[in-house]
Amino acid sequence: MSDPKPARTDADLRRTLAEFAVPSEPGNERLAMERVTEAVRDLDIRGENLERLKTAVAEATMNAMEHGNKYRAEVPVEVMVLVEDRDLLVRITDRGSGLPPAQGGDAPDLEAKLEGMQTPRGWGLFLIKSMVDEMSITGDDGHHTIELVVHLGAQGGK
Amino acid sequence: MAVRHLNVEVRLEPDVAVLDLMGEINGFAEEALNTAYAEADAKDTKTILLNFEGVDYINSTGIALIVGLLAKARASHKRLLACNLSEHYVEIFNITRLSDFMSVFPDEESAVVEASVS
Repeated sequence: MSDPKPARTDADLRRTLAEFAVPSEPGNERLAMERVTEAVRDLDIRGENLERLKTAVAEATMNAMEHGNKYRAEVPVEVMVLVEDRDLLVRITDRGSGLPPAQGGDAPDLEAKLEGMQTPRGWGLFLIKSMVDEMSITGDDGHHTIELVVHLGAQGGK
Repeated sequence: MAVRHLNVEVRLEPDVAVLDLMGEINGFAEEALNTAYAEADAKDTKTILLNFEGVDYINSTGIALIVGLLAKARASHKRLLACNLSEHYVEIFNITRLSDFMSVFPDEESAVVEASVS
C-alpha cells in the first residue's frame, strides 16, 4: 500500500512569475506594463483581457510613482506577479506613508469636470477597478500596496 | 522603454478640422495637444475630429487632457468627434462616458460624413 499523498500547501498553490522594481519616473508605468505582459505570456490572458490588465497595471504604477513616491526617481515601485490557485495577482507597492488611499474607484462625474467644477483628472482608480476582477489597497507606516486580481480560466477576466 | 512623445498634425477637410494624433497621450502630450487644438479651433469649422489612428497608448492623464479638449469644444459650441480608436480604447471611452459627449467612429470617412450632414 502506497503512502497517501501529502496535503497541498499554500506554496503548492502559489507561483511567483516575476518580481521587479521600476524607478519612480514619469513614463515608467509602461515599463511595468510590458514586464507584467511578459510575465503572463504563458497564461490564458489574451486580447481584450490582456489590454485591460495592461491598463490596470499602468494606472496602478502611475499612482504609486506619483502619490506614494512623489516621483522621486531613487524610490522604486516594486511589482510582484503571481498565480495563486485560479487567480493572477499583481501587487504594486510604493513607499507612501500614512493611511493608504481610500479604496475609491467610483465613477468620476464627467459633467462636473466638463463644467469646470472639478479637475479633469482623477480617473486612475476608476480605470483600475473597471479593468480587473478585484482590487484592494493595503498599507502600513512605510508602504502602500495595491493588489489587482484577475480570475483565470474560461470565467476569468471582465 | 522610451516614451513616444505625441506629435500632432492639423489639416482642414471641407467641414471638419482633423487632428492626426501620433504617439502616446499621457502627461507629456499636454502642450502638443493643446497647441494643435488651438490651431484646429482657429480654422473656423463647426466640427473638430480627433484621429487616433497613430495612438497606441492613452493613460488616465491623457483621458484628463481629452476631457479638457471636450470642455473647450462645449464652451465654444463646437462638436468634437473621435475616430480610429482601438477596441480597447473604445471600451475606455465608453466606461468613462467620454463617448456620451464625443461620438466615436470606426474610421475617418464615417466621421467626416457625419460632420458634413449635421
